[in-house]
Amino acid sequence: MKNRLKLLRVERGWTQEQLGQELGVSRQAVNALETEKHDPSLDLAYRIAVLFARPVEEIFDNPHA
Amino acid sequence: MLSLGPQQTTAAGRRYVVRTMAFMSGYVAINIAAILGAFDEIIGTPVAWALALAVSAPVVGQIWATLMLMRDSDEFVRSVIAKQFILSAGIAMAIATAWGFGESYAGAYHLPAWIIYPLFWACFGVAAPFVRTSR
Repeated sequence: MKNRLKLLRVERGWTQEQLGQELGVSRQAVNALETEKHDPSLDLAYRIAVLFARPVEEIFDNPHA
Repeated sequence: MLSLGPQQTTAAGRRYVVRTMAFMSGYVAINIAAILGAFDEIIGTPVAWALALAVSAPVVGQIWATLMLMRDSDEFVRSVIAKQFILSAGIAMAIATAWGFGESYAGAYHLPAWIIYPLFWACFGVAAPFVRTSR
């Protein structure tokens, strides 16, 4: 799923490891999200949205829209 | 026995490694003892079933350790492990089935059923590196 996670992460100066710690997931999970190898669960997508204070649709493209 | 790279540095990964080493140590120790003749007196008797169950117990423990790793991992790692297991188990079952029918119909050499476990891990070692996405 296309997303702007890497852009948002880099804007904050975080490493994948640091973002993973903020979200409670592994670095591999962050990398998989950024490289579109993993579609997040609704729960994880909302956690990411809260962390960056943005709506989910601003971070993840809605593939059904 | 799972290949998860840096994930094994997490607390869940470390617990998995310790549990795996413990269970596999038991599996290897019992088999080595059997090979060296420690159980020769009971081989072929009903008591030997206790030996068969004892050497199988670490296999159950290993599966439990893997399930605990999945429970304690995040959704991506959990999904990848599940895919790796399904793929490896499927390949191992396909090979075992083909060989079994080879024994029945083509006179293939008889292999003991316990070989399915090391076969599964051999398949895992070959297939797992190719499973890198949760889809």
